[in-house]
Amino acid sequence: MKRSTRLSKSYFIIGAITTVYGVVLSNLMTVIPKIIPPDIDTPVPIDLMSSFPLLSIALLSLSAVLFALPVIMLFVYDKNNGVLEYLLSTGLDQLDIFKGYVKASLVLATYLLVFAIILNTAVGALVGTSLTVLVTIAVLTFAIGISEVFLVTVCMVAFSSLQRTPMGANQPLGVIVGIVPMFPALFLPLAFPKYAVLVDLIIAAVTLLASIALLLSISRLIRREKLLP
Amino acid sequence: MQKLELRDLSAGYGLEEVIHKINLKLTQPSIYVLLGPNGAGKTTLFRAICGILRPFSGHVRLDEFDLFNSKEARRKVAYLSHLNALPEEMTVYNALKYYADIEGGDVEHVIDILSLEDLRDKKFVSLSQGQKKRVSVGKIFLRERDLYLLDEPTSNVDPKISREIRQLLAELSKDKFVLYSSHNLYEAREIGTYLIVIKNGELTYFDKIENVKTKQYRVGIKALNDISRMLPKSRLEKGYYVVTVQNPEEVAEIVDQIVKEGAKIVEIRELDNPLQEFFEER
Repeated sequence: MKRSTRLSKSYFIIGAITTVYGVVLSNLMTVIPKIIPPDIDTPVPIDLMSSFPLLSIALLSLSAVLFALPVIMLFVYDKNNGVLEYLLSTGLDQLDIFKGYVKASLVLATYLLVFAIILNTAVGALVGTSLTVLVTIAVLTFAIGISEVFLVTVCMVAFSSLQRTPMGANQPLGVIVGIVPMFPALFLPLAFPKYAVLVDLIIAAVTLLASIALLLSISRLIRREKLLP
Repeated sequence: MQKLELRDLSAGYGLEEVIHKINLKLTQPSIYVLLGPNGAGKTTLFRAICGILRPFSGHVRLDEFDLFNSKEARRKVAYLSHLNALPEEMTVYNALKYYADIEGGDVEHVIDILSLEDLRDKKFVSLSQGQKKRVSVGKIFLRERDLYLLDEPTSNVDPKISREIRQLLAELSKDKFVLYSSHNLYEAREIGTYLIVIKNGELTYFDKIENVKTKQYRVGIKALNDISRMLPKSRLEKGYYVVTVQNPEEVAEIVDQIVKEGAKIVEIRELDNPLQEFFEER
């Protein structure tokens, strides 16, 4: 984990900026009515005060993915310069190596998510966002964020292992495939506010299970030689 | 460790078989020099021995343990590839510690035996190629193993450090098995006890280096006076009178003879390495 923090700081900065944007989105509906008083004569089809802030869950989870990206870059870098080959020769196998990188990205993501949740809760408390909304965002952000980082890491490790030349060019594919399950969280809170929380929980659970299954299967399907430079 | 045994070992990448049906049994701790032209399969053989490549057929056994399937057996093997295989963003100390934390070992011991004290706090990426190789070699000395697989360990290293590394390996080989691939034939002859040759993925020679015979030897003799009259069949090349003989014993007779005739010899040099022919197509 320390190594990835040295490798690139740009992703940490982008992750932090995305977090701030997520916090703004989370508390926007609390602040806007104070600036622009609502027109009480116009009927509103959905309860924006409780559903709109849930859109920030996807954004905050995405910031965790961005924050953990250097770990995957490190995997490709280590593959290219023979570090993985050496680790294999010391008695480690594919699963040991994959688990090491997954663990590092999850630890990094946890740091960011804890920071994001504390920041969001503090800002929400300051501007007066409902406690229920804040707790919901905290729980779902952590659940989706961690499971998304897990899935993205495993996908990128798998794609990077399977590609020989040019090594590392498949990393973006891993991110795209990994974040696809998160897409419903970007619109469901507004489209189906009643089921938003349930759907987010299902996304988190399915993504987590898929990640674990994928990790165990790639360790069997991807041979040691795929980690050679 | 008592023995390393390769039986009918075939291995490669994907569906491509690179080494074919190799049978080899090493029972004496020693330095085994692995020779072969580029693309012969030396690196593939090392990767198959250390359990990275799954054999297509056959097996590699370290004592009774199958190296591909036994993690414990693989921990007894050190493999130095031709790449540096160190985290380049770290300092030399931290890079070695990175591996020591994973597999155990003593970084200070490595810094001491390879004289890395002056490089200790330097970033690995800032080192010269030779210094990088020196540090890279260091990781195999972090802890003791039974079998050392070294893919050109002295390439890019200056002569002094090369000699030190060879001395360390010679010391190791008293009770460990060292397989050493090199393109430097003089180094191979100097350090090796046994010679293993592979060509096109097949084992073509395995014997003691001292038993290597060549068809003819070219010997250069440098003298203070003109000895061309004493060696009528010789040719003058770069200051040496070059004679060709069928076996090394003939050299002694020639030297005795020309000294009696008044030759003032200052140097006698073997111009071709007997191992040279293993790099050539037969």
